[in-house]
Amino acid sequence: MRPQRTWLRRITIASSLVLGAVVWQVAGQFASDAFWAPLSATLASLVGVAKSGVLLRQALSSFELYLAGLAVAVAVGALLGMLLARVGWLRVALEDYIMMLYATPMVALIPFILSIMGFGFAPKVLVVFLFAVFPMLYNTIEGARSVRPELVEVARSFHSGEWRLWCDVMIPHTLPFMMTGLRQAIARGLVGMVAAEFFLSPSGLGQMIMMGSQNFDTAGMLAAILLIVLLGVGLMDLGRWLERRFAPWRAYQP
Amino acid sequence: MRAATETKSERISASAEAQPRIRISRAGMRYDAAQVFRDIDLDIGNREVVAIIGPSGCGKTTLLRCIDGLLPLTSGELRLEGEPVRGPREGVAMVFQHFGLFPWKTVAQNVAYGLKLAGRGADAIAAKVAECIELVGLAGFEHYYPWQISGGMQQRCGLARALAVEPRVLLMDEPFGAVDAQTREILQFELLKIWEMRPTTMVFVTHSIEEAVLMGDRIVVLKGRPSTVHEVVEVDLPRPRERRTLTLPRFAQLREHVWSTLMAEALRAEYEVRK
Repeated sequence: MRPQRTWLRRITIASSLVLGAVVWQVAGQFASDAFWAPLSATLASLVGVAKSGVLLRQALSSFELYLAGLAVAVAVGALLGMLLARVGWLRVALEDYIMMLYATPMVALIPFILSIMGFGFAPKVLVVFLFAVFPMLYNTIEGARSVRPELVEVARSFHSGEWRLWCDVMIPHTLPFMMTGLRQAIARGLVGMVAAEFFLSPSGLGQMIMMGSQNFDTAGMLAAILLIVLLGVGLMDLGRWLERRFAPWRAYQP
Repeated sequence: MRAATETKSERISASAEAQPRIRISRAGMRYDAAQVFRDIDLDIGNREVVAIIGPSGCGKTTLLRCIDGLLPLTSGELRLEGEPVRGPREGVAMVFQHFGLFPWKTVAQNVAYGLKLAGRGADAIAAKVAECIELVGLAGFEHYYPWQISGGMQQRCGLARALAVEPRVLLMDEPFGAVDAQTREILQFELLKIWEMRPTTMVFVTHSIEEAVLMGDRIVVLKGRPSTVHEVVEVDLPRPRERRTLTLPRFAQLREHVWSTLMAEALRAEYEVRK
């Protein structure tokens, strides 16, 4: 892209964001406080909770939940995915369950999880896990199964054992697919986090939203939402960066 | 390291003077209902270069993979240096049609692959890798990845990887089938030069009649459904084979001979409809 076009693009993006902020601000001035708060009030509220330390505490609580769920999802998804890709009968046996669970909106399972596991930290981690694990699992299986048969043959031709085959061929080949899974898991895990904080024991940023809504503190509620939006944007960027970082050879076709 | 392997291979050939490097007897291959080839008998000697040629789908590549131990024969027997082949084994290396390079490994790491699996020490690997990369003309490209270099260079890398393990049998599955015509010619002559420097038993599959005549000591023509050895053409062209070889009248004669042998079959195969 030529430099002028890049500048034009940047100016368009900046204007769009400024216009959005202005609309938010003006709409907030005219609407009832109970429904809508202007941007200035929202930002003021955000600074307020940040100063009081509430924000940091709640954000950390959310993040703890998020990272715990995501970590378990990534580990389970990657290992189980590799195993299923390599062990045919196990895949055939579990495939339908995986597809069913992948297709299920996970929110539908939350009341069930609540009724059997109650209100602790563990059921919330489970919710984040369930949201995040399937893209990870699915992409890993697809990746590991798409390894070029010729490369497996090369390994066998050079007398590679199964363990070396995994280290030299299966894992490096699957890694970029896992990163795609991770990017999707990062996004879905965030949804899981907020859902868990809403429907199980309220905590973290989800609790801030709920409390803001119940107390007609619209500015406080929007502040928490804004924070989650920014968090989501940041995490998506991180996911895309990871995906690119691990796949310089993805387009390679001899 | 090389000296040791040399002595070993000399000893093996001396102990069994009459024994061919590879002996294929009554070999047959069947996938479910389809018989691919049957009753193939072939002895391949030490330092002999054998080209396998035949119409598409005649099982050339399958036969080569059987020799490498990647596939078991469904009937008959295959012996390497007197021992039945039951799986991939030391002393045999394969060059793959689509190079078979690992895209996440550099040229040097790809060349080192077989040596690493063989459990050689780091110093020995480094020395051997440098030597083989030099040999195939890839010096200076050690740290490039396969997706950064041309098809010809990729196959040079595939060749270096196979040569690095000092095979007594080098198998090649349409080694230059995936590169353009000019590169193919360059690589053919380079391979011939390398072979002159370190002659080994070489078995290669090709679609190119010229390539078979230029490189082979014998050409095995597979034909029929299921295919069998239709003819074994002795290529009595002098070595070393060079560009000049292409201009010999005998070269043209042999090429015409193989061509006419294959022609009718190739036409039939082209118009064949899957049932």
